Amino acid sequence: MPMQFALLFVGAALINNILLTRFIALCSFFGISNSMETAVGMSLAVLFVMTIASSATWVFYYWILEPLGVGEFLYIPAFILVIAGLVQFVEMYLRKYSPGLYHAMGIFLPLITTNCAVLAAATEAVKPGFFKMNMPYSFGFGEAIVYTLGVAAGYGFALIAFTALRERLDIAPVPSWLEGTPMSFITAGLLSLGYIGLGSLFGL
Amino acid sequence: MKKWTEVFLDGISLENPLTVLLIGLCSALAVSSKFEGSFFMGIAVIFVTLMSNVIISAIRNFIPHEVRIPIFIVVIASFVTIVDLTMKAFLPDVYGFLGVWIPLIVVNCMVLGRAEAFAYHNGVWLSIADALGMGVGYTVVIVLLAATRELIGSGKLEFLGATLIAFPEWYRGPNIVLLFPGAFILFGFIIAGTYAINRRLRARAATAAVRTERGASL
Repeated sequence: MPMQFALLFVGAALINNILLTRFIALCSFFGISNSMETAVGMSLAVLFVMTIASSATWVFYYWILEPLGVGEFLYIPAFILVIAGLVQFVEMYLRKYSPGLYHAMGIFLPLITTNCAVLAAATEAVKPGFFKMNMPYSFGFGEAIVYTLGVAAGYGFALIAFTALRERLDIAPVPSWLEGTPMSFITAGLLSLGYIGLGSLFGL
Repeated sequence: MKKWTEVFLDGISLENPLTVLLIGLCSALAVSSKFEGSFFMGIAVIFVTLMSNVIISAIRNFIPHEVRIPIFIVVIASFVTIVDLTMKAFLPDVYGFLGVWIPLIVVNCMVLGRAEAFAYHNGVWLSIADALGMGVGYTVVIVLLAATRELIGSGKLEFLGATLIAFPEWYRGPNIVLLFPGAFILFGFIIAGTYAINRRLRARAATAAVRTERGASL
């Protein structure tokens, strides 16, 4: 059992990395990778919100939507509303009881509602068929949590690595017609090249 | 009427969501490994953007400012559900390929961004122009990217089971183009190309303006 959890974590974080091999949440990837400080703040906020959101939507899906027989039709609006409400609630709670944490990730919290990574992780925690690995195709609560943690860790790792590269890119000599955004994309492509090598890790 | 075409054309060229505004990137790059899949993704995005822009601009005077985002999301999510179920029923193969990307149209920054930035402040008629322009701009770019990737990578272009273009048998494409780094790298070159075109368009507009100004002063 612990072995399976470890494999699930590694699979979600490295082999099926959400940013570089599956292209989810690329808007935030290119939008905030300008400075290291914001990248770290965003990664922490995503880790925090994603874990809470996935566990809430898992419970919501299996305890309310499935018994009522409407899971297939209502999961999209229901999940996004649960996530939006939860983010709002977490923001208010943090502002009142933990001002330090609120300062560290305050401005990122509203942005996270529209971060596709959170909705993707929540959807895949109940419908893991989209997640292509040799794994049982119905996650229990524990597996859903481990999977979400893996996704968030992979997000943070890729984002921080790319930010570090981009800071160097600013002072590198680049052909003038590729300067700016085009070169960032090509760098991201080269970074994602490295993730192909992880594809056959542990024979997954 | 002039303004309508202007808004429509801006979405395709100078304010293209993918290459200039850099929004809605996730789905665009992810589905771009197959021509057919990206074409239907474009159609789905055009439909959702159009319908949500129409509805939101029609009811914009009744939406309280504080809760506008949840209302936008509910409107968008209902149209996404329509697309989700329709595609599952009529195009199961394409649905299997697009997978999680159909539900993720809800949080596609482009759809929500147009609702917030345009439809919430403009009338229904102009919002239709904006939605169509943005949707077509999105579709053109992803179809271009996907067609390039599929053609170079696998040597042939397929659409709903029919082969449109095929290279000769001996052609062996570089596999990297079909894998995910190929999407990033080719998209970088596409952006560089659009930048060059837009720069030229702007320069031409500027010289034309100077010329008419001179003509007026003479």
